[in-house]
This record gives sequence, structure tokens and C-alpha cells, in this order.
Amino acid sequence: MSFTVVRGLQSEIFIPTVPPVFWTRVSKSLNEMVVALVTAGGVHLKSDKTFRLAGDSSYRRIPGDAKSDDLMVSHGGYDNTDVNKDINCMFPIDRIKELAREGFIKGVALTHIGFMGGGGNIAAFTEITGPEIAGELVEQNVDAVLMTAG
Amino acid sequence: MQRAIEEAGISTIIIAALPLVVRQNGAPRAVAPLVPMGANAGEPNNKEMQRAIVKDSLKNLVSIETPGEIVSLPYEYV
Repeated sequence: MSFTVVRGLQSEIFIPTVPPVFWTRVSKSLNEMVVALVTAGGVHLKSDKTFRLAGDSSYRRIPGDAKSDDLMVSHGGYDNTDVNKDINCMFPIDRIKELAREGFIKGVALTHIGFMGGGGNIAAFTEITGPEIAGELVEQNVDAVLMTAG
Repeated sequence: MQRAIEEAGISTIIIAALPLVVRQNGAPRAVAPLVPMGANAGEPNNKEMQRAIVKDSLKNLVSIETPGEIVSLPYEYV
């Protein structure tokens, strides 16, 4: 039996594809881990520069010991009502400090990261911002990252 | 972003309000409480719920063994 081969033939039906897997195995128990928070929710220090709501691929450093009252959100992509009442519902900085004090985790990272996700210049996020943020976290020897986004 | 951090050698987990979007984007590990976008870590000023979500998220960071797995968390704020 012979087959007709047509190279490059594509379905007319859009089929979403899932990108290749990235995976770093967990090698420590939680009480040995220093944990950083990373959020796409547009969180930053009130004293810091706000994000440009129309699209911004920069990021802000948030000290691990920052007070929740010193933080705010600038993000045009979701309803800010809840996070304006309590930053912890998007950026649980007080909760992660409590868990470190109790010994559930070893510690809180020196610096957390906030950026404004939900679109914008995806190429800049993928090629520049993502690797920069990852590099900062590696430099400060973070063991794990808890993210809020999506 | 999560993928970039994971690629750099740090294990990550995401608290997602929109688990299907997170799956589409190829998140390595995710948890999904029943929350609206913008309150991923739980109801504002509800310390107990936020604490439980954060704790369970970290436990799942350790226990999830399959890349792309999304675990539902039994907390609801709508």
C-alpha cells in the first residue's frame, strides 16, 4: 500500500499547543527552604514607580521585610478592589512571614518581585524580563518561588 | 515567568484563579482555589483562608511529581 505525502499540510482547525516542559525537582523539605514571592499582579512599594497600565514589561523589587501597608498595586488588567483592601490576597507577604517565624519554611527571600502580567510585550517578558527576574532569584539563593498570577 | 524561573533551577508553584490559562501557558506546578482573579491567595482580610492557601500551595510544591499538574484547593471566595 502506498501513501500520498503532502509536506507542510496543516489542519484548518486551530489546535492549541502546550509549550515544552520546564521542571526543577524539589530536593529540600519545606523547613529548609528560603521562599520568594513573585506576582504578576502589579504589586510594588508605594514609594516605587507605578507600572504603565497600557503595558509595561519592567519589574519591581520588594524587600522581604516590607510592610504590607507600604505596598500598592498598579495593574490595569483586573479588578483591584480586593487587593486595595488587603494586599495579602494577591501578595501574601504577611502570611509568608508568619510561616517563616513558625518554622514551616526556613525563611523569606531578601527580595520579592512584582511585575504587571496579563499581556503587553510578551517577547520582552520571555526574552528579557523573565530571565532577569530568574537571575536575581538565583543570585540570592532562593530555594522556591510562590507565584500569584492568572 | 514561572517557566523562566523554573528553567533557571528554582522550583515554583503558582496560585491560579484561571487554571485553564495556566495550563495553556505551560506552568510547571499549580494550585487552584476557587477565587476570582485578583484574590488568588484568598479573601481580603481573611487571614485563616490566606494562610491555608499559602500553606497548601507550598505543600503541593513538594508533593506534585508530574509537570503541568494543577491541584484544586478546597477554599472558596467568590
